[in-house]
Amino acid sequence: MAEGVAVDTSFWGTRQSGVAALERELSRLRRAQSAHARELGRPIARASVLNLIVYAEREAHARRAARSIADLALRHPSRAIVVLADRGTREGIEQRIEMHCRLPIADGARLVCYEQILVRARGDVDDRLASALIPLLVPDLPVFLWWTGTPPLGTRSFADLLRLTDRLVVDSADFARPEMTLPVIARISDDARGRFGLTDLNWTRLTPWREIATAFFDVPAWRRFLDGITGLSVGFAVDMDGRDIHPSQALLFVGWLASCLGWRPLEALAPSEAGGLLFAIARPDGARVMVRVRPRFERGLAEGDVFGIRIKATAGGQLAEFVVKRQPDERHQTATVLLDGQRRWERTMPLPSPAIVELIGEELSILGSDRTYEKALDTLVELA
Amino acid sequence: MSHEEYREELHTAVAQYSRTRPLNEEVWRSFAEHLHFVATADDAGYEELRRTLDQLDFALGTNANRLFYLATPPPAYKAIVEAIGEHHLRGETGWARIVVEKPFGHDRGSAVELNEIVHTVFREDEVFRIDHYLGKETVQNILVMRFSNGIFEPIWNRQYVDHVQITVAETIGVGERAGYYEQAGAMRDIVQNHLLQLLALVSMEPPAAFDDKAVRDEKVKVMRALRRIAGDDLATNAVRGQYARGFIEGVPVPGYREEQGVARDSGTETFVALKLWVDNWRWEGIPFYVRTGKRLPKQSTEIAIQFRVAPHQLFSREALAGLEPNALVLRIQPDEGISLRFGAKVPVQGIRIRAVNMDFDYGASFMVDAPDAYETLILDALRGDATLFTRHDEVDQQWAFVDPIITGWAESTEGPASYEAGTWGPTEADALIERDGRKWRKA
Repeated sequence: MAEGVAVDTSFWGTRQSGVAALERELSRLRRAQSAHARELGRPIARASVLNLIVYAEREAHARRAARSIADLALRHPSRAIVVLADRGTREGIEQRIEMHCRLPIADGARLVCYEQILVRARGDVDDRLASALIPLLVPDLPVFLWWTGTPPLGTRSFADLLRLTDRLVVDSADFARPEMTLPVIARISDDARGRFGLTDLNWTRLTPWREIATAFFDVPAWRRFLDGITGLSVGFAVDMDGRDIHPSQALLFVGWLASCLGWRPLEALAPSEAGGLLFAIARPDGARVMVRVRPRFERGLAEGDVFGIRIKATAGGQLAEFVVKRQPDERHQTATVLLDGQRRWERTMPLPSPAIVELIGEELSILGSDRTYEKALDTLVELA
Repeated sequence: MSHEEYREELHTAVAQYSRTRPLNEEVWRSFAEHLHFVATADDAGYEELRRTLDQLDFALGTNANRLFYLATPPPAYKAIVEAIGEHHLRGETGWARIVVEKPFGHDRGSAVELNEIVHTVFREDEVFRIDHYLGKETVQNILVMRFSNGIFEPIWNRQYVDHVQITVAETIGVGERAGYYEQAGAMRDIVQNHLLQLLALVSMEPPAAFDDKAVRDEKVKVMRALRRIAGDDLATNAVRGQYARGFIEGVPVPGYREEQGVARDSGTETFVALKLWVDNWRWEGIPFYVRTGKRLPKQSTEIAIQFRVAPHQLFSREALAGLEPNALVLRIQPDEGISLRFGAKVPVQGIRIRAVNMDFDYGASFMVDAPDAYETLILDALRGDATLFTRHDEVDQQWAFVDPIITGWAESTEGPASYEAGTWGPTEADALIERDGRKWRKA
C-alpha cells in the first residue's frame, strides 16, 4: 500500500489517536447502541468469546478476513483486530502504527455486536508491533492468531505474537514454499506443546478426503489390505501453466496416512515430473510403499487442492485399488474399489468444499491442539 | 495574583478539563464570585487569609466552617498546619477540617510525626487523609457488590477461592515527577496506599454499618492480619523491577534511567510484585498476588478472584482443553465493570468447553458518567463523612507492612530487575506466581 493512501473509514471506522481513545470510542459506540436497543425494548449484549488477531499484508486480504469475521460474528462474536502491515523497509517510510475501530452489528442479529479494530502498521515495525496489540486484547479471553500468507519465521513480531496466542491458524495453501515452512511451524508447535495450538486451514480442507479413505477400511472384507499397502498416489491441482505449485495439502494427506499406519522414511522426497514428487516409504514390516504426489491442471479447482487419491494394496494374493476422484462438477466425489482389476464397489457422494469462512469458523470452536494434525506434520517432517 | 486573575485561570482550566463540557457560563459566574486568592508566603499572608475568611463569614453568613486542603508537596505540610494554628485560622463557631494528600509520610516514623503535628491543630475526626482510589465509583462498588448481595459473600473465603490477583498497571513513565518518584518508587507511590486499599476492601470482614467507624475498623483489622514480609521471605515473596527502553502502543519510549531527573544508576523500583497472605480465619492459606508498575503494556486496574476448580471432572481432557478456572473480575479502570468467567459448551456436536465471560459494563448499564473520584471525596469532606478517607491507624498499618520491604531492598546488594517497557514486568515476577503452579491473568 502506498504511503499516504488513506484507508476506507466507512469500512474500517474512524481513526483513533491511541488505545485509550479507541477504547473510549468503542464504549461510546456500545453505549449508543445500547440506548438505541433499549428504545426498541431489546437490550444488546456485548458479546465476545474470543480475541481474533488477523495478520495481513494486503488490504484485499485484510478486507476478506474482516468479511469472514462479520459472517462468523453470530457463532463467534469476537474482538477482531485486523493488522494490515506494510513490511516494506524502504527508506523514507516512517514507522507508524495507526488504529481504527468500528462496532458492526452482525448480519441477521440485532442483539449481538462485535468489535472490529484495524491496526495499520507502516515501515519496519517488527520490534514494536506486539506492544500495539497487547493493550487491545480483551482480558481473559483466548487469543486466536490468524496469519494470512507465509509466517515470517525468525522475526521478532511473529515470535512476540505467538507468545500471546492460544491458537495459531495458518493456511499452508498460501505458503510460497510449504516444504520449507511447514517443518518450521511443526517445530514451533513442538516447542510450544501445550502452550498454543496450531491449525492449518489446508488440513481442515482435507477432512472429507480423510473420511472417505478411512471409510474404505471400515469394511471388514477390506480391512486386511490396510497392512499391505504398496502404493499411494495423491493428485493436486495446479494452474494452467503449471507455475503455481502448492503440494502442501497433498503432502499433509501423505503425512497423515503415514502417521496413522506407522510408516517410516526410506528415502528423501525426490522431485519428479513437473513439480511432483516420487519417493518410497517403509511399512512397519519393512516393505516399500511407493508414494507419488502429482500436479495436474484441473479446471475450477484452487491451486493446491487435492483432486484424487489412489491407494494400491495386496493381501492374500489379491490386488486391491482404492480410488477417490473429484467429479468434474467439483461438488461430488466418486469412491471406487477394484479387486484384481474388477470394479467391486462404487459410490458418488457430495464433496463439501467449505469456504474460508466455514473453515475458520470450525477452527475457532477448538482451543486445544489437534493431535492428529501434529502427528501428520511430524511424520511429514521426518519424510522431508 | 489578583482574585480576578485567579478566577480567569480556573475558568480556562475548568472549560478545558471538566467532566461536563461545555461549561455553563451562568453557573460558573455565580460559583466564581466566591473564589478568592490569597498568597501565604509569610506570616503577613496568613494574617490576610484570616482577615479574608472573617470578612467572608460576615458577608455570606458561613458560620466560620473551614475545609483546608493541602495539595502541596509533603515537606510543606508541617509549616502550613502550624500556621493554621498560630494564626487562628480555625473559625470560632463552625467546623474545621483538613484534607491531606497522599503520601502521608514516607515511612512509619515520619507518618507518626506528621500525625502529631496535624493533631496539634485538628482532632482525628477532623483529618481527612485522601486516597483518590477510594473515591472511584468502582472501588466503592466493591463494598456494594460484596455486602448488598446474597450470593457473593458465602463463597468469598478460603473454601471457594483459590487465590486473588490485584493489578494496578500504568503505561505512563515517570514523566515530570522524577524528583518525587526517585525518592518514592512504586512501593510508596502505589503499593502503600492504592494497592493496599484495594486489598483491604476485597479481603475485609463485613462491617456492621456503612459509616466511617465500622468500615475503617474492619479495614484496619485486615491490615493488621497482613503477614509482614521481611528477611528471607523477601526474596521469595517480593519482586522489584525497573523499566528499560521499549515500546508503548508502538511508540519507542526511553528507559527509566534515561528519563530526565533520574540518576543514571538509579535503584528506584518502577515495578513491584508481591505474594501476600492475610492471616485470619477467612483467608488462611489463600495467596494474594499483587503487582503494579509503570510502562506496562496497558492501563488497567483490576481485582480478580479466582475460584477453585470443580472437585470432580466429568468431561474428557479434549473437552476440557478450553476451560479455565472460574474468575470474578472487578475492573476498576478503564472499562469499569464486573465480569464472571465460567465454562460453557461450545455449540458443536459432542462436548467442547470454552471459558466465556459474562460482562457487566458500567457505562452501558447506567448510561451516565460516574462522578470523578475527587468530586465525590471533596463533597464527602464538606459533609464531614470520613468513610472513604484513611484513618491514622490505617496509615500506620500500611507503613508497618511496607517499611520492612523497603528496608530489606535497601540493604540488598541486588538492584531491581530490568524489564523492557511495554512488557508485563521482569521474568522474576512470572516466576513468583508460576512457582505455585499459577499464572498472571492476561489483564
